[in-house]
Amino acid sequence: MTQALDMNERPVQRGRARAMEAPASAASASKLGTFVVAFGIAFAILYTICERQNWPLFTYHPAVDRWNFGMQSAPPEDGPPMFWYGWVVLSAAGAAVVGLIATMVSVRWLYRATTFFCVLAALWPGFFALAGVIDERASFNAEFLRSVWVAGIPALLGAAAASYFVSSRWAQQAWTGWLLFMPIGGLVILGYSLNQYFLK
Amino acid sequence: MDMLFGTISAPTFWKILLFVHFSLAVALLAAVTLQSAAILMPVRRAAGNFIDHISPAPAASYATLVVLLYVPQALMGAWIYVKYRTYVRIPMEGFRHWWTVGSFEFKEHVVTMGLALLPAYWYFWRQPLSDEHATTRKWVTLFLAFTVWYSFVVGHVANDFRGVGS
Repeated sequence: MTQALDMNERPVQRGRARAMEAPASAASASKLGTFVVAFGIAFAILYTICERQNWPLFTYHPAVDRWNFGMQSAPPEDGPPMFWYGWVVLSAAGAAVVGLIATMVSVRWLYRATTFFCVLAALWPGFFALAGVIDERASFNAEFLRSVWVAGIPALLGAAAASYFVSSRWAQQAWTGWLLFMPIGGLVILGYSLNQYFLK
Repeated sequence: MDMLFGTISAPTFWKILLFVHFSLAVALLAAVTLQSAAILMPVRRAAGNFIDHISPAPAASYATLVVLLYVPQALMGAWIYVKYRTYVRIPMEGFRHWWTVGSFEFKEHVVTMGLALLPAYWYFWRQPLSDEHATTRKWVTLFLAFTVWYSFVVGHVANDFRGVGS
């Protein structure tokens, strides 16, 4: 008799039994799980900010093999500066600190804080882009809207409202989801910032 | 490095490095693609016959290999990136290959985001696999597969401009 067995990745009977022995919510229960998820989310946000604001921890000048602390432009004869290493190291260090803090706070605070910062990270560039559109189309002088800090005010209010009003259950369920939304959102912003190359 | 360059020329050294980078990329591409396929396509087998003996590798078995390939591959890419910035990108801009320049710029961001997710990827594939995180595990894996495929294609285009065999 031929019987079809599901060989999909979902743990089969024995694996399921072992999974039952594991903590019900592995990522939320273990400090390691909390750290890696918080690290991934924080890294994506911090890297996008570091790149967009050009905040490298250090600058490397490959043509003359020189390292400088912080953002350091150089005369043309020194060749092109490289900031990417500095962005990555700064983002990783910042994300590691965030990850460590995440392991120390209560789970309830962790979910709320993650919701707050992720909604803020999503709304801020959204409002900033909207401000740019308004400034272009408005019949009055809306130049002040171009300030990144002005766009931050409604984003901050929206993030505060979202983290206050969402249910604890939703915040918990969305927690690992941010792990994907933040890198994808970061790539959308970073990709859009490169449109100068694609529109030439 | 000076001693090494006394034995082989600098261009040869960089070409060897680029070839190793390519070889690691192929291995990583295979591992992450097979893992993605194992996740996306439920494999069914007939019980009680010879097909039983041909068991497909479970997706979890690729996780450690992917991590072990991804990290050195990213580090090697970061090393070669120095050469790209001075030796490849400047003439690329001179020839106005803006799409290639832009795509390669995006590649550095894509790889970085992949690196950021690598600890979580490794964690979610640890045994015993948690049912609760099956969806996250699946999408993180597919995201990593995207980063590897994108980097491979764009890296290959950049290599065709100025690299091994170009």
